[in-house]
Amino acid sequence: MSDTIKAETIYDAMGAVLTRWTMGSAAAPAASFWHAELGGDPVEAELRLLALSGQFLGTAVTMEPSSSLRILPDIPALALPTVPETLRPLVRRILSTKKQAKVKTDLVHFLAARGWTMHPADWMPQADDDDAPDLYAEWRDWAAIATSNSAARRQTDDRLTADNWDDFWPAARKVALAELRRRDPSAARAVLEAKLAGETADTRWRLLSLLSEQLSDEDLTFLEAVAANDRAPKVKALATSLLARLGRGPAAGDDTAELAGFFAVKTKGLLRRSRVVQAEPVKTAAQSLRRKALFDGADLTSFAGALGLAPQELIAAWDWGADQAADAALIELIAATGADAQVTQAADAIAEHGATGLAISLATRLAPAERAKHAEAALKAQGIRFELAQLIAGTSARLEGPLSMPAGKALLAALQRDDAKPSDHAEELHALGLIVSREGARRSLEQLTGAGLLQGDPRLDMLRLNAALDDRGAKP
Amino acid sequence: MAIDLKAVEQLATDQSSLKAAAGLAKPAKWSGVGASHDGVLIWGECAGSGANPYRVMADLRDLGNKCTCPSRKFPCKHVLGLLWLNAEAIVPFVAAETPAWVSDWLGRRRGTSAARPGSNVPPAGEKDLRAARATEPEVADDPKDVARREAQAARRSEETERAILDALDALEQWIGDQLRMGLSGFIDDATARCRRIAARLVDGKAAVLAGRIDELPSRLLALAAGDRPRAAVVELGKLVLLARAFRAGPRDAEIRRAVAASETRETVLADPQALRVDARWEVLAEQVQTRRDGLVSQTTWLLNLTPNGPRFAMLLDFFPASAGRRGSVFTPGDRFQAELVFYPSQQPLRALLVRRDANEETPALEWPASETALGDALTRSLLAEPWVIEMPLLLPQGRIAHDETGGAWWRAADGTATLPVAGNAEGLLAGTELMRTAAIWSGNRLTILAAQTSWGRIGNDE
Repeated sequence: MSDTIKAETIYDAMGAVLTRWTMGSAAAPAASFWHAELGGDPVEAELRLLALSGQFLGTAVTMEPSSSLRILPDIPALALPTVPETLRPLVRRILSTKKQAKVKTDLVHFLAARGWTMHPADWMPQADDDDAPDLYAEWRDWAAIATSNSAARRQTDDRLTADNWDDFWPAARKVALAELRRRDPSAARAVLEAKLAGETADTRWRLLSLLSEQLSDEDLTFLEAVAANDRAPKVKALATSLLARLGRGPAAGDDTAELAGFFAVKTKGLLRRSRVVQAEPVKTAAQSLRRKALFDGADLTSFAGALGLAPQELIAAWDWGADQAADAALIELIAATGADAQVTQAADAIAEHGATGLAISLATRLAPAERAKHAEAALKAQGIRFELAQLIAGTSARLEGPLSMPAGKALLAALQRDDAKPSDHAEELHALGLIVSREGARRSLEQLTGAGLLQGDPRLDMLRLNAALDDRGAKP
Repeated sequence: MAIDLKAVEQLATDQSSLKAAAGLAKPAKWSGVGASHDGVLIWGECAGSGANPYRVMADLRDLGNKCTCPSRKFPCKHVLGLLWLNAEAIVPFVAAETPAWVSDWLGRRRGTSAARPGSNVPPAGEKDLRAARATEPEVADDPKDVARREAQAARRSEETERAILDALDALEQWIGDQLRMGLSGFIDDATARCRRIAARLVDGKAAVLAGRIDELPSRLLALAAGDRPRAAVVELGKLVLLARAFRAGPRDAEIRRAVAASETRETVLADPQALRVDARWEVLAEQVQTRRDGLVSQTTWLLNLTPNGPRFAMLLDFFPASAGRRGSVFTPGDRFQAELVFYPSQQPLRALLVRRDANEETPALEWPASETALGDALTRSLLAEPWVIEMPLLLPQGRIAHDETGGAWWRAADGTATLPVAGNAEGLLAGTELMRTAAIWSGNRLTILAAQTSWGRIGNDE
């Protein structure tokens, strides 16, 4: 091959060669500089030209990006360390074998409660993953940056103010606002007053819900304005609910009076007379629906007031267990419109009366220590299953000996049955792994393998992770 | 938990399984043999006929078992071999943590009663352990028979070669036709046209080349429409080169491997010239692809962490898609000391696993330094084998960037190269500096296998 042919010459000819072949005409005439190499036979010449052109195009011509390239910022390290390398395969397996979103969320929260975070190669939150712990705000914002076309904001570590509001990415801003609310409730409210209206309805709802922390009468004016003027019904409803927690529900009107009419305040006992609130028998389905609808629009203070009681008196005098639909409706009412003290009082009351299922509705408004306490009490006294206990306890509990409780004994017995299948009770064992302390997890594993489960049984993954993971979290 | 050899005999479906198992009940065939601390589960890796070993596991309580081989027999000879090793204590079953792949299998098992020894499955014919153990006496070959067999083999080889040469003539004619009819039409109708010539090549004993052409349309269609004519010229040009190379050296093992068929495992193992490398390897990735010809290809990419021998090794196996989904053989990120034998080649890459040592604590080795000059590395293997489609690369420090359409690019930290990346490079891969990246370059796209970052090793599948 003549070495005088320059790459530029070949390159310049390739356009014509490709065009000719694309259209189906002979291309050799367009590469006359290879005349000697291609030879005189036109069929052979095309094949030789194909071999030569193919090699040239495959090596000398590489694709170039058609537009400017964008490089994403580094994924930041979080405040807590990632789980130890040796445990990552176990974490990955729990994530991959259990597809439900709740399992992922629970695992992420469990790790955070124990002082750890996920490795970003194993799991990362989406930008709109509001269920992720606040700890992951920076990763959520990274995901937001990755999916947006805008340039990165001037990320700031300053205290959040109305002026620097737009410098924060949304997840970090929410965390900063929550932090500000804890330290300086009025300042946080003042920032919200200035900026809330500029956000979407979903964001307004989430930001406003942060006011439930340290809620006080100082928030009244702002909340009344939101309840009256916000464009979105669900934001209005939240503001109304927060007002109700402050005892400023809508003035008792006809509806509340009608709801009170479904109940009667009676007295009982001969010597120590006490009041009891009893549901009047509901005679028709229509009545039942009407009562439910009235509950949905009511607030605790007004309802209690319509019965001539203070909210705490209503909770104390309620005749638990007599009308389960009424019990459930009252608990929903307390969860939505009750003050923190009333929520705690109601949780204690239902625990005393064994209405454990209702505790789930209150759980998200209880402190982690209270959730764990109620879950443990229900496990002991009511014999509830671990799955239900986990819903009450959340992911921060550290129960010591759940297997010695009724649910544990039942589980051990079920696992040892002759007809037990290898996939039985996987959810129950997973829930156990979430609520038990590290030491408790170790003991549970010993008991379970002693009962015939294999050490490598994947149903024990959550327990094994718990037992192996150093507990560095703040104890509730 | 001990088992009896009698149980192995009962479990075998027939005498030939038992016989094959006896052949596998030898320490040399096995690596990574272990048992759970409670002695209930046993597992091991058995060298099969392919490049990748099979993962074999059994539950001694009920003799439930699983093997990653494609055999339709249940249990297969590998499971019987493992049980045999255990029954006769031929190798020590070291108590260890149950590997994740055994736990995964446990989680998928439906019941524990299916495989009880001597249960409802009637024995298929008489089986006899002693007969299985017996070795066939070597029959002294009659020199005349040997000569006749050799002559037959030579004739068959000539016939095969003739058939391949005819098929290659047909291929070149077909390529010429595509040019005459226009590449735009070829690109639009590539699947059907490639299928037809691939069938002709299969008839002409050029099975490997047929598989390559069958996959050509999917490689083209993965590219942007504007890049397809160029890629079609590159693909077809390589076919011309390969056809010409075969004509020039039809007995060259490397070229034959690219056209007709690969040597058997036994041939490679028996070849004194074949390169053997005892090194520490890291599993980069496993690629499983269902091909148009009904085969599933399973490729394991290994990185050599020591300075000796080739940088990469590729363990390649094919099995019929009808054999069902096959479990992974290795876990990406695994590291082990092993001896590999490479198929003879100017640039050794495809290999067989000869021996894998038991896992032991070894000093953490860094990935080796990347290719010195990236431009050379992208084209070097084409000097020896201009028809290769893809080549593994170890890239220097770089980072993922995205263009306005969301397409991903790998960009060298020193700005000297920007290469298009296949698929979505998202999450951590796009959010951190890639200190080293192991990838496959296919001339127009980079498929990232794994990378080293400040977050540790990350795989593209993660």
